[in-house]
Amino acid sequence: MSSSDSNSSSVDDHNPNPKPLDYQFETLNLEQGSGSTIIQNDVDEEGRQQDQGSSLNGSLNVNSNNHEQDDGIGLVRGVVLRRTNSEVEVDVNGPSSPSSSGYAGERGSSGVSEDDEIEEVANDSALHEVFDSQAAWLPGKRHVDEDDASISWRKRKKHFFILSHSGKPIYSRYGDEHKLAGFSATLQAIISFVENGGDRVKLVRAGKHQVVFLVKGPIYLVCISCTEQPYESLRGELELIYGQMILILTKSVNRCFEKNPKFDMTPLLGGTDVVFSSLIHSFSWNPATFLHAYTCLPLAYGTRQAAGAILHDVADSGVLFAILMCKHKVVSLVGAQKASLHPDDMLLLSNFIMSSESFRTSESFSPICLPRYNPMAFLYAYVRYLDVDTYLMLLTTSSDAFYHLKDCRIRIEMVLLKSNVLSEVQRSMLDGGMHVEDLPADPLSRPRSASPHFGEHQEPTDSPRRFREPFAGIGGPAGLWHFIYRSIYLEQYISSEFSAPINSPQQQKRLYRAYQKLYTSMHDKGNGAHKTQFRRDENYVLLCWVTPDFELYATFDPLADKGLAIKTCNRVCQWVKDVENEIFLLGASPFSW
Amino acid sequence: MATTANKNINAKLVLLGDVGAGKSSLVLRFVKGQFVEFQESTIGAAFFSQTLAVNDATVKFEIWDTAGQERYHSLAPMYYRGAAAAIIVYDISNQASFERAKKWVQELQAQGNPNMVMALAGNKADLLDARKVAAEEAQVYAQENGLFFMETSAKTATNVNDIFYEIAKRLSQVQPAPNPSGMVIMDRPTERTASAACCS
Repeated sequence: MSSSDSNSSSVDDHNPNPKPLDYQFETLNLEQGSGSTIIQNDVDEEGRQQDQGSSLNGSLNVNSNNHEQDDGIGLVRGVVLRRTNSEVEVDVNGPSSPSSSGYAGERGSSGVSEDDEIEEVANDSALHEVFDSQAAWLPGKRHVDEDDASISWRKRKKHFFILSHSGKPIYSRYGDEHKLAGFSATLQAIISFVENGGDRVKLVRAGKHQVVFLVKGPIYLVCISCTEQPYESLRGELELIYGQMILILTKSVNRCFEKNPKFDMTPLLGGTDVVFSSLIHSFSWNPATFLHAYTCLPLAYGTRQAAGAILHDVADSGVLFAILMCKHKVVSLVGAQKASLHPDDMLLLSNFIMSSESFRTSESFSPICLPRYNPMAFLYAYVRYLDVDTYLMLLTTSSDAFYHLKDCRIRIEMVLLKSNVLSEVQRSMLDGGMHVEDLPADPLSRPRSASPHFGEHQEPTDSPRRFREPFAGIGGPAGLWHFIYRSIYLEQYISSEFSAPINSPQQQKRLYRAYQKLYTSMHDKGNGAHKTQFRRDENYVLLCWVTPDFELYATFDPLADKGLAIKTCNRVCQWVKDVENEIFLLGASPFSW
Repeated sequence: MATTANKNINAKLVLLGDVGAGKSSLVLRFVKGQFVEFQESTIGAAFFSQTLAVNDATVKFEIWDTAGQERYHSLAPMYYRGAAAAIIVYDISNQASFERAKKWVQELQAQGNPNMVMALAGNKADLLDARKVAAEEAQVYAQENGLFFMETSAKTATNVNDIFYEIAKRLSQVQPAPNPSGMVIMDRPTERTASAACCS
């Protein structure tokens, strides 16, 4: 195992005395969540971690240990094709051989080879990550001058490509698509080589790089990454990129390839680089990209009700979906009868709107497609920003509904202004959502009213709401740093605000990646759904708890006490329950429409 | 709306033209008096309204600033249907955009409202050094096709108000009665629209 792998799998390594904790874990009384209990399965944690490592490849991986041992030696070089259940993994062994550490043996020119050694090191350095950091992020495509011969291009940690089945480039995260024609053709050759054998290629591992393939009819998507994310996560990201493309063009773009297999799709996506780059950026800051749930802006119950009521009014008049959002958070949303909106569609739609500056200048009426709703047809979206962050989207099937939707918007805007919804939205944006420092004390030892509610402006000096364990340094009680609570029934999640130790976008991204890994392992069908997971590494303690109703992902100080951490998770769940009226949009589950 | 003895005309106006010709810049200059050097490309179509007074009439423009991107071409009828006026915009420093403009003129002549007032705008007139399309060439083309022609610059505001004013003037002469604005409803199956978007 490589060193980074053993780090992440060293569960409780730092714990000098695991037995009493196990005992504590076992004997804790967990009363929340409609009778769900944390099931004690800590004993085989070590064994499960092993599974974890190999589940990066799912059923594909046959010899990950094998090649990782070769990693340091690098004398043997060869390509091994393995077939298991009609799925193929290609192992490119000997990554320290200069020509093979490039992607899939592409362009091993001697001039570049010496720098490939640096690549392995530079990839791990924090310095290199600056390229991806949120602070440094600017919309739009960067590094267009690069191509696959550029050292800088080859050093990028995560590439995304869209290409056609004839090997024509359609989109590349970095570099100019047209200059990457040769590289695209190589990717296409790999895919078709395996397809000719009646198989499908899903994943190629080459040293630290994973090459993930997703075939969608005539459109191929490829991710080349050395971010150590699980295969399922990278595949999920490719699915979203494909969805974003469908949102812009609909799936009927496939017909162009039926007519002309060599069809060049790049002109059709003209001007959308910014949409894709913003989506890819959101993979590192927006948990909705892997939770498949949306999040609401915390608002007093009455405020959200007022917004919902007026949206309901217009939804009755031929509007398919009426959605009011503030940045990536939902204020309220309403669908026509039996119309349900998938959280992924909401993510892609809001990304499309927020990344395109053009929507901010005026009211717009644009064709868009919701891939999960109907990938074949365009809907028409009336979009209007009501203030700098808040925007209204009215979706309809009728291409001549503009003036009607414009009237609807005028009505909605008037009501929202009158009922102060817009100012409440602004205030909530400033106040933020749930802060771990505000976690109320033990539910049994505090009066109900002490639980902090949103929209009831309490003075910060109101000390009972600021509860801290005496020994906790930073973050919340018991070393709680952060949590995400996902309600399965509502398809919504709430994430606590980032504070003290997890301040930088870089740290946040790392934490989301850790959550992503957790999420993948908890939803791994092969291993059966885990109920709980407790992991400790040098960065943090992660605790995950899955019940039929909700999933909780919590992060603690790496030295946090396990028993206390579990207790704290129970309190978080209670807290979420106490304020669910304010943090979730209730009665709007797509299934109840 | 003003209810004077004057004529009140509601006129739908559509801007068509190649990507980057400056349609949005022209509209923003006319409606908001603004100009940004790097205008982001328009998605679908943006809607603006602006009122102009000409002679004895008040013309309220309902302006559709369409996206020049290829994927939206087949959806253009949705925006120009029922339009009383159109400005076809090209970039004087880009020959291809002039060719694209001619295509739009053809399409409007075939599909558009027959009484439509059409203007040809050679935009980016401030870029004299980079000129690729001669003003005379465009002038001749415009005359042959019954358009009126102006070279404009959204950046310096040259001729921007003038071109809208000229359209308003012509509309007030053409249309003695208020024009019922709005889009004509036509059934276009979404399927067909979508596929046409990609294979036009």
